[in-house]
Amino acid sequence: MAKGNNSEYRKTIDKQYKELMKHCQLHMEQVEKTLPESKEDLHGLLKERGLTRRDFVKWTSVMTAALMLPPIFKPMVAKAAENFSRIPVVWLHFAECTGCSEAFLRSSYPNVDDILLETISLEYHETLMAASGYQAEQNLEKAVKDFAGKFICVIEGALPRGLDGKYLTLGPKGKTGIEVAKEVASKAAAVICIGSCSAFGNIPAADPNPTDCVGIKKAIGVSTVNIAGCPPNAVNFTGTILHYLMFGALPALDNLGRPVWAYGKRIHDYCERRPHYDASEFVEEWGDESALKGWCLYKMGCKGPYTYANCGKVRFNGGISWPVMSGHGCIGCTEPDFWDTMAPLEKPLPDKTYGGGEKTVDNIGIALTGIAAAGIAAHAVASGIRHKGDK
Amino acid sequence: MEKKFTSEKEWSVAMRINHWAMAISIFVLIVTGFYIAEPFTVSSGETVDKFLMGNIRYAHILFGVFLVFLFIWRVYLAFFSRFHADWKDFFAWADMKMTIDQIKFYLLIKKEGPEYKTLYGPMQSLAYIGLFFMVFVIVITGLILMGAGYHEGFTAVAYFILRPVEKMMGGLAVVRYVHHVFTWFFILFIVVHIYMAFWYDAILKKGTVSSMISGNIFKKAKE
Repeated sequence: MAKGNNSEYRKTIDKQYKELMKHCQLHMEQVEKTLPESKEDLHGLLKERGLTRRDFVKWTSVMTAALMLPPIFKPMVAKAAENFSRIPVVWLHFAECTGCSEAFLRSSYPNVDDILLETISLEYHETLMAASGYQAEQNLEKAVKDFAGKFICVIEGALPRGLDGKYLTLGPKGKTGIEVAKEVASKAAAVICIGSCSAFGNIPAADPNPTDCVGIKKAIGVSTVNIAGCPPNAVNFTGTILHYLMFGALPALDNLGRPVWAYGKRIHDYCERRPHYDASEFVEEWGDESALKGWCLYKMGCKGPYTYANCGKVRFNGGISWPVMSGHGCIGCTEPDFWDTMAPLEKPLPDKTYGGGEKTVDNIGIALTGIAAAGIAAHAVASGIRHKGDK
Repeated sequence: MEKKFTSEKEWSVAMRINHWAMAISIFVLIVTGFYIAEPFTVSSGETVDKFLMGNIRYAHILFGVFLVFLFIWRVYLAFFSRFHADWKDFFAWADMKMTIDQIKFYLLIKKEGPEYKTLYGPMQSLAYIGLFFMVFVIVITGLILMGAGYHEGFTAVAYFILRPVEKMMGGLAVVRYVHHVFTWFFILFIVVHIYMAFWYDAILKKGTVSSMISGNIFKKAKE
């Protein structure tokens, strides 16, 4: 907007940020008073992993910018990161592949985000906990009771509703996923859905969906923050938690429940290959001359034009790369039902086929137009005979 | 020689301009739309000198916006045209007997078509209602697709309103697919529409084709 030079406008913005800053400082004090002591010393951990203070400061700058905050908030982001492990987290797994947890845990060169996630105060995490059976159940009950209204419930995986939810049962008491989710979510300060399965159903809910899987919001009717992606970027999760720590509120969400700061813009609009799209330079075949030149993957079925996410900006694996950069198109994993709506994943959308073979929309369209033309020709001839000599 | 035909005004200037502007827009949109759906690669030259997709998308969006306003104008004319507000004529098909007679006439079973007083024939009115629906869907899906990439002015407002529609349809991918499928409905419509205009011209000899240019149609003079 052209209001940037307007001093009046600047003043209001500055004032708003100052108020926000005050709110943030007050809230952080509150957090330090009410929430349990940090179990881990972040700076010690960073040092242990070979990350310098400079790396940490750099990270705070990136994170502040990613959260769309002005630079004055950098110290607050750093402070929130130090207090990151104060928030108790209960991490539930339902119908999914645990790929999201894996993606967060198994980075070969962990960056600050990954280490932050390691410091998280996990009260319950089915993949990582040592306890099992009744003991595990007790841990969950204790965490939910001790931190009622304070803990964050992180959910990975969709909930099957078929057979009264009995497609998914957990623990020694054989509770269904829906029961567990309802119990825990009702006591949580916030429910954060990690990955597209818990957000929208995703692959467990893909057609024909025999177990009637749906996302958490639809299954138990609570409002959730959807960190969509298959798997999502760790930055989007840590950023959301940092926002919650700093302001005591969840970030602004779009109409699909995804944080706007991370999912507000399309992949296509921030793609480094976008100039090649506008210049009509497309990869026609895997590994061809154009692919070597890094041209646009639109014709190889890139779903960037239909997908909202910040992958191109924050990238994966410590900012090394992301799908389009590595030479394969986006598959649209942050969008609801991407497995069905984006298929075929490696072909442009109109190449979706019906009933096998080559029955795409274009082929059906050409056939129908051909039939219409033939019908017209026959009708014209017949009309000529029938109406011969009319006046 | 006695005068057999009288010439009567059938289409107002506004209707004719609207018709041809829509025809041109739809033609440009179909051609550019197919390029956007299945582009060919421009291999030679430097990237900085090329902007084919950019230009084609520009044309597509420009004519798409034309179509939006031409559509609004046409709906306005249907209700408020001072010459002939024809919104009632779009329901000529409601007279079932006439519709069946008209189908028999088209299938060459009957030699004479039914005498209708409305501006459009029964089948014609049905086709035009379909066209209205098609234009509506393609315009709405088009505005969503445009809004996904452009975030200012008219587009931003349209997208803000239409975002729930996008969600309801199941995301941009579905919106884009519907947009593509409806292009084919337009093509089928155009093929039949043009043929029917010429057919009427040949069978009834009323000058149907030229009426959309001159505005006048011939009617057999009453004895």
